[in-house]
Amino acid sequence: MNDVLKVVVDGLWRQGDKNLAVRLVSANGEPLPGWQPGAHIDVHLPCGLIRQYSLTGESTTESYLICVAQESASRGGSRYIHQTLRPGQTLTISAPRNLFALRDDGPVLLLAAGIGITPLYAMLLQREATGTPFTLHYFVKRREEAAFARELSHSLKHGVCLIHCSSEGKSPRQTLAATIPAPGDGERIYTCGPAGFMAAVRDVAAAKGWPEAQIHSEAFAPAAPVAASQQEETFTITLASSGEKWPVPANKSIAQVLQDNGVAVPLSCEMGICGACLTPVLDGVVDHRDTVQSAAEKTAATQHIALCCSRSHSRVLVIDL
Amino acid sequence: MKTALPTPPAHCTFEPEDWLRLAKCWHPVARACDIGAAPVKATLLDEQLVIYRVKGQVVVARDVCPHRGVPLTLGFHDEEGIVCPYHGLRFGEDGRCNRIPSSPDQPVPAKLNLLTFAVEERFGLIWTCLAFDAENPQPLPTMPHWDDEGFQQINCPAFEVNGFAGRQVEGFLDVAHFAWIHTDTFADANNQFVPDYSPQETEFGFIADYWSSVGNYPASSDYRAPEGFQWLRHFEMHLPFTATLTIHFPGEARLVIMNAASPVSSRVTRMFAPIARNFDLHIPIEEVHAFNLRVFEEDRLMVETQRPERLPLDLTLEAHIPADRSSIAYRRGLKKMGFGEFFLV
Ligand code: FES
Ligand code: FES
Ligand SMILES: [Fe+2]
Repeated sequence: MNDVLKVVVDGLWRQGDKNLAVRLVSANGEPLPGWQPGAHIDVHLPCGLIRQYSLTGESTTESYLICVAQESASRGGSRYIHQTLRPGQTLTISAPRNLFALRDDGPVLLLAAGIGITPLYAMLLQREATGTPFTLHYFVKRREEAAFARELSHSLKHGVCLIHCSSEGKSPRQTLAATIPAPGDGERIYTCGPAGFMAAVRDVAAAKGWPEAQIHSEAFAPAAPVAASQQEETFTITLASSGEKWPVPANKSIAQVLQDNGVAVPLSCEMGICGACLTPVLDGVVDHRDTVQSAAEKTAATQHIALCCSRSHSRVLVIDL
Repeated sequence: MKTALPTPPAHCTFEPEDWLRLAKCWHPVARACDIGAAPVKATLLDEQLVIYRVKGQVVVARDVCPHRGVPLTLGFHDEEGIVCPYHGLRFGEDGRCNRIPSSPDQPVPAKLNLLTFAVEERFGLIWTCLAFDAENPQPLPTMPHWDDEGFQQINCPAFEVNGFAGRQVEGFLDVAHFAWIHTDTFADANNQFVPDYSPQETEFGFIADYWSSVGNYPASSDYRAPEGFQWLRHFEMHLPFTATLTIHFPGEARLVIMNAASPVSSRVTRMFAPIARNFDLHIPIEEVHAFNLRVFEEDRLMVETQRPERLPLDLTLEAHIPADRSSIAYRRGLKKMGFGEFFLV
């Protein structure tokens, strides 16, 4: 299975004075895979870059909506989308992945800064649709820059939304302590925005007695130790040199399986951050779970797999050992 | 300009292939303010160099008189160049011999010219490239804000460490050691946590934005950042040995420190540290020098005693923790440039 989808840019429009909303529809007319708020997709841009964007808006399979800020320090992705992308253009995207899902139906405090509004706006819409209460605090530098401002100003039935502007003296630094209350029973915080903002949220929340486990933030590239929790599938790992093959069950890493069978594996960090265990792949589709390789490396013609943490999208993976 | 053949010097402490790769890159060899007409000695990649200024031009050459091999740094200078003390041959612009006292009327054969190297003056430093390839020139490192209006430019005196440049640079990129080594200068022994960060590859190496609550005011200063302030440390690594760190102070205040490690040999490194800042401009630069020296001095014992002295590029040879993402990116970058597994002898 290779999770690549072809989509067409159906529309582009301004969201605040420095963001661009992009609507993507399936190129073959089939519905797109379903998703839940918090999900993101990889967008493969024709300029060779791959960027992750949170899905936003209503959770439908008819189209996907993303919203991209104009980054002055853009390393190419935002600039391409703002300057070159046009309606009608075809793009390749990954299926949605969700590392930031709402855990349950309990009360939530949503804290967004800047373009970090995108996943939280989707969460807010879902909460509105299901009638579960929420509070959204949305921090922007200037009011004009807020995305989805019009939508958010419509009266909400089940929650509250407050926009805070630094230009009006309401920067996160000045305001967070007042906006984050003591934790309510079973309440969770979902936050997305610049790393500094999210760190500040965690600091303030921790100071108010929020347990770490009730604070969730968007992380596109988390260190991914073998998470046996999801319904991982067993696949087969094959050594090109000897043709030996073994099944890799959900609760074991490839490295463990190889070691159990007496194959020496170069390991150091065992959490996908150092690259010591990177091994060339001769056949199969890697499910990259490491954070040491760049997006370009993970999509290059010649693939390397981190044996300590990555898995396989294909039934069989042949590695150069 | 006549360029030297790119061959490692005698008693070179690097593997020949690694030496050649390093020789193709630009390295700083002196502060520009320390170079006048008089010959100054420097060593780069085990090569002995003489540096002098003649008619406004900086010359970097092998410190070997082409006549009988006496070092020119033993000599002296006049308006026209530097004079070898043994038989008085004099060398001027582009390292050309312009006087043979014992036969003043003879034309000067090209064989008597010095072996010179490519030179650039930037960030208050003299940079040289021992194996400059005009077809495929290597870029010089860049430094944020150096030329920006409102920024003061400061150049600390060079500082020598008895360790390998790769180890020293990796230390500069390492954010987990602040709370352990730098508590007398700026860091806080009670703030040891390293928030997650992820280096991004660039064409010159990588950049890393690291946010934390570790402050950067000198421990002696009365200033404190506002409650909850998050400090951004923006690192730009220019492979192989130059990194810059831009520290975002509250408001628009910025401090940029370049850590330009010059590999004297595989066991000795000469550190250059150009600094640009747009605040505290009234503080005497001697104090800035002294503060930076103290910070580098705090690192000395670690960098000089690490084993192996060389930098293992094979990542299985050392253990790695999440705080090491920059160190890992650094080693991967060096490996990509083709440096040997162990980099050094
Ligand atoms: S052992 Fe470090 S990435 Fe696998
Ligand atoms: S050795 Fe230098 S002039 Fe003779
Ligand atoms: Fe240090």
